[in-house]
Amino acid sequence: MSKYEVILDTLPAKGDRIEILFRQAGDGFIQVEYGYEQRVELLDSFRILAVDAKVKQTKNNGLIETLPSLRANMIHFDPTVISPMALIDKIKEAEESIAGVDDMVIDSRIITLPIAFEDSQTKKAVEMYLKQVRKDAPNCTDGYNLEYMALCNGCSVDDIKQMLLDTYWYNSGCGFWPGGGFFWPMDPRCKMLVPKYNPPRIWTPEGAVGIGGACLFTYTTATGGGYQLFGRTIPTFQFSMKHPQFKDGPFLYRPSGDRIKFVEVSEKEILDIYDHVHDRTDYVYDIVDSRIVVKEYLDFLAKPEVVKGAAEFAARQEQGSGTAPKL
Amino acid sequence: MIKVLNGGIEVLVEDWPGRLGYMGLGMAAAGAMDNLALQLGNLIVGNGAGEAGLEIAGGYCDFEITEDGVIAVTGSDMSPTLGGEGLPLWQAVSVKTGDTLHFSHFGDAGFRSYLCIAGGIDVPEYLGSKSTCLFGSYGGFEGRKLAKDDVVKTVRKNLAGIAGRKLNPKYLPEYGNEWELRAIPGPNSVPDYVTEEGMDYLFGTPMKISHNANRAAYRLQEVPASFWAREDGGKGGSHPSNIVDHGYNMRGAVNVTGNTPSLLIADGPTLGGFVCVANVINADLWKIGQGIPARDKVKLKLVTVEDAIQARKERAEMLKAEDLILC
Repeated sequence: MSKYEVILDTLPAKGDRIEILFRQAGDGFIQVEYGYEQRVELLDSFRILAVDAKVKQTKNNGLIETLPSLRANMIHFDPTVISPMALIDKIKEAEESIAGVDDMVIDSRIITLPIAFEDSQTKKAVEMYLKQVRKDAPNCTDGYNLEYMALCNGCSVDDIKQMLLDTYWYNSGCGFWPGGGFFWPMDPRCKMLVPKYNPPRIWTPEGAVGIGGACLFTYTTATGGGYQLFGRTIPTFQFSMKHPQFKDGPFLYRPSGDRIKFVEVSEKEILDIYDHVHDRTDYVYDIVDSRIVVKEYLDFLAKPEVVKGAAEFAARQEQGSGTAPKL
Repeated sequence: MIKVLNGGIEVLVEDWPGRLGYMGLGMAAAGAMDNLALQLGNLIVGNGAGEAGLEIAGGYCDFEITEDGVIAVTGSDMSPTLGGEGLPLWQAVSVKTGDTLHFSHFGDAGFRSYLCIAGGIDVPEYLGSKSTCLFGSYGGFEGRKLAKDDVVKTVRKNLAGIAGRKLNPKYLPEYGNEWELRAIPGPNSVPDYVTEEGMDYLFGTPMKISHNANRAAYRLQEVPASFWAREDGGKGGSHPSNIVDHGYNMRGAVNVTGNTPSLLIADGPTLGGFVCVANVINADLWKIGQGIPARDKVKLKLVTVEDAIQARKERAEMLKAEDLILC
């Protein structure tokens, strides 16, 4: 065996559970990985979050924090309080308590976010990019990225907007930037795919809604970035924690499991909401406690119209991505 | 209180262990780059070991004392002077209102000095820590590095018996120009991500720190193409360093983007789409902060998790040792 081996332990595949690997990642870190081969399946994320919630519920002295992502969970702990093997046993216990998909129910709030397409701030970001970063960028037609996104997906700009509005967007975990979530389309008929900016932007407005690959991100503060931009939503983060929604922390999204649903509004309404969040602090966020019953979701995915629609879209997408200019 | 006459290269308020518990929400721990020098400085002036101090990177800065007190300077020797007279390091020294404190620049060894003040730095805690996350512009002193005319408040404290305390020389950290960092492979290692030969290279080759080194990442020199055990990143992307986004074992991750390894530290990214092949053990994190960009080298030394946990315990015991401070 190599002295560089890192797999400390495994749980074999069982029923509908994929193999789970416990990888050493330092003296205070263990990575729990779902499946040896990489794949992009929301089902893995559901399982990770269900187990993550259980691990956090039981009082585990020495556990500092967890970082769930789509197919792995990074566990940060104090090894002088709990040994790596003892911690792995705790995680295995939580794993074994979830027999299969039929048992999986995830707490998942539904957050409704207004969005304005073709707004002035998004336009400003695209203009700045053309001026300061890449003059000949093929993804900036008419001052926005929407035309390019349509081209990549073999559809119209209206289709792009409609797909954004039609699906729930599921958060597999937060990271990259303070308060930012990684959101995935739950309806495969809305699974748009786009390349990231090359090279990246140097400025993106607060509230910009972007997509890279199949993953959606709402920019929590003004920053650089590489995702193609749809438009602008309302604040999803507040450093100052002045608004009551943020009284316990600057974050709107929880570490995971939240779903976003977008509704189209005018830019004026968006700007008005910024005022009511950051200045008057009296905007009321539309957040409903809910849950995802995984079995029901799988039934939805298996519906003939969903399967057929997803396949048709994938075919159009393949054609589109073949003809769209590379970035 | 202390007034900044000249902010030099980069002076920041940092504490230890920084802002833990928010990685799952996209916030890195931040904290002192050399936590050992900060903790020793604090203990010398009678503070709790993790109290906030001023982290001085590079040097070239001047301060004016605006209130009588006691200070200690630790870390890299930047030939500090107090009122024009040489100021000894690792020792508690009385300062009087009107005194000026001058730091020249980093010299033979080490890149960061710490200025600890009896009582501690009085900035508001943000999410449980006084540390500045420079990359995200929050925490510490208005989320930024100090500049001319800033006045930093300090907490008042009974100063009796503090001046003259000094570090027992046997505990003085060793500085050099090649920093041996004990490290543990993982989560991405042999046989699936990196070749045996690649890991031998990583753990056997002194690697120069790039000029591109900041509080988020210290870039190192490139690894050879034989490093990789795979052709591409599969579902994660085209380069073998790509992976489906996962949480990083941060602080201390050895993250590889393309063929360039970086040490992810204080303000580094919490999650991303590149492999992490090793983790610098907690007890050696301090050395990274003293590595001089574009000049020093780091060399990874393979140790076991057990060795690393033992080193952590020894460090904790050392900081509590009865003979640590000579009065």
